[in-house]
Amino acid sequence: MVVGDVTTGTDVLVIGAGPAGYVAAIRAGQLDLDVTLVEKDAYGGTCLNYGCIPSKALITATDIAHDARNAEQMGIHADPAIDLSGMVSWKDDVVDQLTGGVEKLCKANGVNLMEGTATFTDENTVRISHDGDGQGSETLEFEHAIVATGSSPIEIPNFSYGDEPVLNSRQALSLDSVPDSLVVVGAGYIGMELASVFAKLGTDVTVIEMLDEMLPGYDDDLKRPVKQRADDLGIEFEFGYTAAEWSEHEDGSGIRVIADPVDGTDVAADGGAAAGETEVESEDEDENEEPASLELDAEKVLVAVGRRPVSDTLDLDAAGVDIDDNGFIETDSRARTSVDHIYAVGDVAGEPMLAHKGSMEGEVAAEVIAGEPSAIDYQAMPAVVFTDPEIATVGMTETDAEDAGFDTVVGTFPFRASGRALTTGESDGFVKIVAEEGEGYVLGASIVGPEASELVAELGLAIELGATLEDVASTVHTHPTLSESVMEAAENALGHAIHTLNR
Amino acid sequence: MVREFELPDVGEGVAEGELVSWLVEPGETVSEDQPVAEVETDKALVEVPAPVNGTVRELHFEEGDVIPVGDVFVTFDVDGEDGATDATAEEAAETPDSAAETDSDSGTEPAGDPGAIGAGEDTESAETLDDRIFAPPRVRRMARDEGIDLSQVQGSGPGGRITAADVQAAAGTAPSETAQADVGADEGTAAETTADATEGAPAADSSSGTETAAGSSGQTATATQTQPPAQVDAADRDRTLAAPATRRIAREEGVDLDAVPATEERDGEAFVTPEAVQEYADAQRQAQEADASALEAGETAGEFAEGQRERREPFRGVRKTIADAMVESKFSAPHVTHHDEVDVTELVEARERLKPRAEDRGIRLTYMPFIMKAVVAALKQHPEMNAVIDEANEEIVHRNYYNIGVATATDVGLMVPVVDDADGKGLLQLSSEMNELIARARDRSISPDELRGSTFTITNIGGIGGEYATPILNYPESGILAIGEIKRKPRVVTDEHGDESIEPRSVLTLSVSFDHRLIDGADGARFTNTVMEYLENPDLLLLE
Repeated sequence: MVVGDVTTGTDVLVIGAGPAGYVAAIRAGQLDLDVTLVEKDAYGGTCLNYGCIPSKALITATDIAHDARNAEQMGIHADPAIDLSGMVSWKDDVVDQLTGGVEKLCKANGVNLMEGTATFTDENTVRISHDGDGQGSETLEFEHAIVATGSSPIEIPNFSYGDEPVLNSRQALSLDSVPDSLVVVGAGYIGMELASVFAKLGTDVTVIEMLDEMLPGYDDDLKRPVKQRADDLGIEFEFGYTAAEWSEHEDGSGIRVIADPVDGTDVAADGGAAAGETEVESEDEDENEEPASLELDAEKVLVAVGRRPVSDTLDLDAAGVDIDDNGFIETDSRARTSVDHIYAVGDVAGEPMLAHKGSMEGEVAAEVIAGEPSAIDYQAMPAVVFTDPEIATVGMTETDAEDAGFDTVVGTFPFRASGRALTTGESDGFVKIVAEEGEGYVLGASIVGPEASELVAELGLAIELGATLEDVASTVHTHPTLSESVMEAAENALGHAIHTLNR
Repeated sequence: MVREFELPDVGEGVAEGELVSWLVEPGETVSEDQPVAEVETDKALVEVPAPVNGTVRELHFEEGDVIPVGDVFVTFDVDGEDGATDATAEEAAETPDSAAETDSDSGTEPAGDPGAIGAGEDTESAETLDDRIFAPPRVRRMARDEGIDLSQVQGSGPGGRITAADVQAAAGTAPSETAQADVGADEGTAAETTADATEGAPAADSSSGTETAAGSSGQTATATQTQPPAQVDAADRDRTLAAPATRRIAREEGVDLDAVPATEERDGEAFVTPEAVQEYADAQRQAQEADASALEAGETAGEFAEGQRERREPFRGVRKTIADAMVESKFSAPHVTHHDEVDVTELVEARERLKPRAEDRGIRLTYMPFIMKAVVAALKQHPEMNAVIDEANEEIVHRNYYNIGVATATDVGLMVPVVDDADGKGLLQLSSEMNELIARARDRSISPDELRGSTFTITNIGGIGGEYATPILNYPESGILAIGEIKRKPRVVTDEHGDESIEPRSVLTLSVSFDHRLIDGADGARFTNTVMEYLENPDLLLLE
């Protein structure tokens, strides 16, 4: 086939069809803009294909098995057998349904879909190279561009995702058999979610974390139930270590991961080393010269140490778009980059890397291009960790609010006081609501416990609308539901909760 | 750190004050005790000082508003306690951006231009929220659409939450306000931007112009409600193009075409449309009306437009305060007025002798200090005239101090500055204190404290002319003395030999009103006689 260079034009070019890009493309289409969406891999991006959706599918599936296995006190005695390939193929069906939906929605909204990898050639054109059969490339001229290339997992030295026993989150979600043992590097939200999944599948899981705590950035009281549950599941933690290297056992019985103590944390390392022996069956402990290093034998190692923006493959220089030291594209409140007609949304445009944040930015970018008065002006960005139990936060923490100069009032409600929580068998955790003292404006909330991810939505709405504690407390909540806990927390903040003591 | 500043109790027992003028703008740096606003309460115009060092964050009321004491009327960003670090960072990120926009708008529509309001394309100039504002997303979007800075909008919802209606109201108000809002948008971190916007924007000029107008007209109670039209500034060109019909309108309206702000340009010359002339004429007329009513405030006569049969003005401010006081007095105390006249020939002579000496000491000696001394002497002999009824406790309060109020006509109405402890002061001191108080009452720089606490009041009706009056008590005081004009009159004079003759003498008329609940007619007459005795024989004052 002739490698032609066909030039076409479009009003709006969207690069990347993840939750930021496809949302931007659909909204642009709704606003009667001529829009082209370029995707190099799969519609729906990381979130739908390799992230949020597949992980939630596996979390739910493994929860079902786990709950069935541990329901004796409800009078249920079961020992479910897990067929991981069956589970994964069910997950793939879910993903296919969603990504197929994205594609249909794009087409229905008049979005031109193109497969390929886009590279800027100047500030008004990109070259799109096609992988695979066609192998051609074409040039596309655009009036406006929205960069939504997302992020990819960070690799650490000596742990290449190309090597078979080393997994990134994407690969971990596609295994066809349950590993007997797994070392998880990184106790962030991805590492913690997947550690729970595999622990519930019966894998022996050890988590290595460089810092001395899991889920950095979340308040201790939120993490406590999660740590407790992880301990109950038998997940081992090694805080203060970094994964240094791995080697294959010569007998083919798996791998050994060497973890070094983080500099300056000798005390913690000593304690950690003592605890670390449990995982290891191996007798040859004399190989390593550093006494404080850990040797962890496992079948696989999952590396989940964070994600970095995909901004290096675009040749942003050619378009004159600036990126910061971390590789993020700098944007303003209108999602504009340093080049006025080029926008960036989603993970590539900066923290927090959250699909819903990207979608919101995508809508704003499309609307701004269409001349609408949109802006990124959210008061509160909800975030959820699908650990067991779930953690959800929105808006300010108490500390944030005080730092911002508010006199705060806080109300909490523990799930053990919730009738509905007790009937689900999940009564760990609490709802905490932070408000401004004077008028009672809700400023933030954090929840750990059953369905925290769903409960947080109401509080996000309260914050955005400028609702007060009184508003939340006076809204009738259905009984018996977990959502009553939100109302009770608000009442507690007001000093007149019914089902808890108001102190 | 944000400091909400509530309107303090600027006068004892005052429940509200009328905001006459703002002395600061949003974004302006203020130091502690710097006056931020002029508020008219009771009978005084009070400057309200800033409680802290900081930056003006938001003005919650407009000039002319009546503010209840205790309501937050201005908020400050307090120095050294930076409120939201996040917001500041965000702001910092925004600032270069907004500057760039100002440039790119080809200079004709700087951020502060009121012409930009409501123009959908210019939504870019409205930045996202810098600080926490309690308004739902739909309203925030609406505000961007209208180019309104929400931090300048006062919410009417529960707890000050901003509603869609508030934004619509803000969008519909005078451009000057929104211009001000825009200028203030980058307060704090972008002081330079603010300065630039103010310099660069003609609109900002016009807005500050109207503020000044509002400020001066605000000196009177009556004129403040008149929103000064936005574009009254005269253009003052040498040459103006206009159609003949337009010129005719200008003639009819008595408008100088060269002064009409030009909306268009033709062949490089300013071109004025009939609409512009009409608008300017209306604006001028309104401004003149505002000025006229400012000048004639306190009097009922005002300018009537041609064909106008009635004219309405708000009944409030000092006028209302006076009215309320009069009603309370007249309906609470049964008034009796006792009239008499006294031969003050000797007093006139004494004053003529003393006057140059007083002048040597820089004091203008009037009759009032003599009368005050005479009154104080009489009060000492008739203490019930210096007493007051405490109705709440059903007690009569006798007072061993003599604070004499001097009723004073000012441009805005009657005021009663008080000379405290008049019994312990000499003529010159009384004179200088009184003159100073009256002067300050007239220029309205007097403080509320100086208008309070009198035990007896003297009112001089003679200054304008007239002999007798039925003065109304400065309630709850028990007595008030009105003095008439000193006139030369024929009087029957008895010499030392008992011979009578008619001589021209200087005669002063007195009208003493008193509260008949406390004082019977005979007592009132005796008090008056005592006053007369001292005035007739000023030598007796030496004994006091």
